[in-house]
Amino acid sequence: MRKTNINWLKKKREGLYCVPGNFFIDPVFPVDKALITHAHTDHARPNNKSIFSSKETIELMHLRYGESYCSDFQIAYFDEKIKINDVTVQILPAGHILGSIQFLINYKGYRLLISGDYKRTEDKTCLSYEPVKCDTFITEATFGLPIFNHPNDQSEVKKLIKSIKENENKTHLIGVYALGKCQRLITLLRNHGYDETIYLHGALTKISKFYSKNNIKLGNISNISECSKSEYANKLVLCPPSSLNDKWSQKFKNVVKGYASGWMRIRQRVKQKNIELPLILSDHADWGEILKTVNDVNPNEVLVTHGREEALVNYLTKKNFKSSALNLIGFEDENE
Amino acid sequence: MNDFAELLNDLILSPSRKKKIDLLKIFFCKSNLKDKGWAFCILTNRMDRKFISVKELKELIVENSDEDLFRFSYDYVGDLAETISLLWESNNEKNIKINLHEFMEIFSNFDHKNKLKTKLKYILDRSSENQRYTIIKILTGGLRVGVSNGLIKEALKLSGVREKSEIEEFWHGFKLPCTDLFEWLDGKKLPRYINRKKLFNSFMLANNYNSNEFKSYKIDDYIAEFKWDGIRAQIIFSEDGKIFSRNGEDITNSFCDINTFTKGYFVVDGEIVVKKNNKVLSFNHLQKRIGRKNPSKKLIEDYPIHFIAYDILFYTSVDCRALSLIERKKYLNRFINICKLSNISTSSLIKFSSWDQLQNIKETSLNNHIEGVIIKKKTSLYKKGRVVDGWYKWKRNPFSVDFIIMYAQRGHGKRSSFYSDFTFGCWVDEQFTKLVPVGKAYSGYTNDELKSLDRWVRNNTVERFGPVRSLKPGLVVEVSFDNINYSSRHKSGVALRFPRFSRIRWDKPISQVCSLKYIKDLIN
Repeated sequence: MRKTNINWLKKKREGLYCVPGNFFIDPVFPVDKALITHAHTDHARPNNKSIFSSKETIELMHLRYGESYCSDFQIAYFDEKIKINDVTVQILPAGHILGSIQFLINYKGYRLLISGDYKRTEDKTCLSYEPVKCDTFITEATFGLPIFNHPNDQSEVKKLIKSIKENENKTHLIGVYALGKCQRLITLLRNHGYDETIYLHGALTKISKFYSKNNIKLGNISNISECSKSEYANKLVLCPPSSLNDKWSQKFKNVVKGYASGWMRIRQRVKQKNIELPLILSDHADWGEILKTVNDVNPNEVLVTHGREEALVNYLTKKNFKSSALNLIGFEDENE
Repeated sequence: MNDFAELLNDLILSPSRKKKIDLLKIFFCKSNLKDKGWAFCILTNRMDRKFISVKELKELIVENSDEDLFRFSYDYVGDLAETISLLWESNNEKNIKINLHEFMEIFSNFDHKNKLKTKLKYILDRSSENQRYTIIKILTGGLRVGVSNGLIKEALKLSGVREKSEIEEFWHGFKLPCTDLFEWLDGKKLPRYINRKKLFNSFMLANNYNSNEFKSYKIDDYIAEFKWDGIRAQIIFSEDGKIFSRNGEDITNSFCDINTFTKGYFVVDGEIVVKKNNKVLSFNHLQKRIGRKNPSKKLIEDYPIHFIAYDILFYTSVDCRALSLIERKKYLNRFINICKLSNISTSSLIKFSSWDQLQNIKETSLNNHIEGVIIKKKTSLYKKGRVVDGWYKWKRNPFSVDFIIMYAQRGHGKRSSFYSDFTFGCWVDEQFTKLVPVGKAYSGYTNDELKSLDRWVRNNTVERFGPVRSLKPGLVVEVSFDNINYSSRHKSGVALRFPRFSRIRWDKPISQVCSLKYIKDLIN
């Protein structure tokens, strides 16, 4: 890390470390105390001794890693200021997935905002992003290039519904991330009047049930194993992206393969993954949303992580923000 | 325009051949004649020129966007048309309604570059992302949407009354904007300007030799000839003779030292090489002549062209393609005897009595400019493309040398997100301290290996120059190549023919890689 305004934030092997608070934020290796922004596995790793996060994130981690993975956890509530050693920590919704939060860390009056992953588009499955004024802002840059300009999610869902109508004898197999994207897509489909049963790959059911329990209405969903082969035609099946081209998907004979992701913006990526029906649906801020957020939180300094840091740092510097790349390790380049 | 943009997008995303043919058929049926014609020209890359250069496009996008942001984006996307179409900040004007043929007519008639740029900007401002992509692809040429000519022929057959063989026969005759092609497909007469005798004929190509298959084949059923390292060409000898390259490009002017004028009509298939003092010279020498539309007298004297004839397609009114190879060879010899040109000869047959012997001849032939041998079935007819039971190429074993990877560049198209183009080199001398680049390779690895290479590149970058990364010397690769020669064009002084990766030597220390002297010794 280049010199930043904050000398009390350190980059360690385990991840980002707050010195006066004596905790890590989204560490990649186990630590004594971890603040977790959301439950995606590249942010919420197992085996930390003590966890501080939102109720939903902690429950999702229990669901993933078993009840016994961590005995010492502390639930963070909105509108609460928690003192951790020499700093106070406040949480705000990040709009990424259910339970995703930002951390506002105050040390001697200096305010550091760690956004985690976030988006600004409305999403019925989670609380909307809440901007707050800060001195240093750490932003993600998964889609930190101006070529990423996510279209309206309504148009993408309509595209899927249209394709289902036009290809009556085919199975629609759509790759979605198990946590967040899957449930957001289902919710969007329901809001557009698609009320058929939606079939899920086994890897998606547990988390979807968790969403249902949290009052997110998913309508009729069912495990694909409960559907006989002869019934596959004209069904909508959701599965993890990795299953789109593996053995599991071969049992569907007449398929339209789709993938719901911000990466679907780029044709060659679509081609590389053998996708016929790209749905540009992202849970990350696009270029415009990142810039809007930087303006909203109006910091002296922006630190950039996760993804295409160079372009964003270059642009923000030109716009007179002090800006540099964090270069954290352990975050896969292209996860979403 | 919108229909065509949608067609392109659908073609790119369609995984199956059948679906692509369907899409084309539907487009050809529902579009108006002019749009069809232009679409056909665009899809088969018949445009005679690029409307706009890459440099001009870059200038245009930099005016519209930020230069650094364009550079980062282009580096990431790896496709200029896609980068610009995504990056372009349209000013929310209403979408323009313009037919494909209107668009093509406007841009075909611009001769003033600045006016063209202004008009293009106006249209891009009023287009969707997908339309912008299509427009830029059209203007720069080379669509790469995964549509082969074979596929288009199939779609044409389905959207008219003509047989595939007829379409094949006149395929090369129709001229821009090809509206008459679609009229002909519907049953009208051929346009007057099409003269079958001036048209390029599709080449017959060789399959790869398979030793297991051949073990059981009878020697007597086959002939063998050398595969010369030149360029394949088809010459029409007539009063208005022509020379065509492998993909049907007219290269008559580049090789004007071959006299194609004669009474009658003869079409001969063969190889163009440079031959001096009765010796065929390397491909490097031939390269001086390729692409030179008006070669100077000196160039012609220094690099004299020779045509080695393999086969004959037409002998006056005889369509030799329907005859067996042995019959065709007789006609070919007859033609060579009557044309009496010193820089044309027939390819000689190799005498052999077993496949092992032929292999031996192939490997030990002293002539450096032989790529291998071609084995041809005596009874085979002359047919387009790679025909089963026709011709087989049996290449010489390639050279194989370990090199060190020095630079990497991001690929394009399907490989756009990966570092896939590699410059490799060896030590300058026995001090083993300095490296010199020797060649570039971008094939020979598997997809999984490509991912590992990509990761290695990202972790071992020393410096970045635009899309190119210079790398810490550390990775050894075994490179295969078909031939090696001296070259004044390259810093190393040598040029490799068709280098490709054969193995990645993750295990091998760079200190064990050879020096340039060893490489040069391979030449002789």
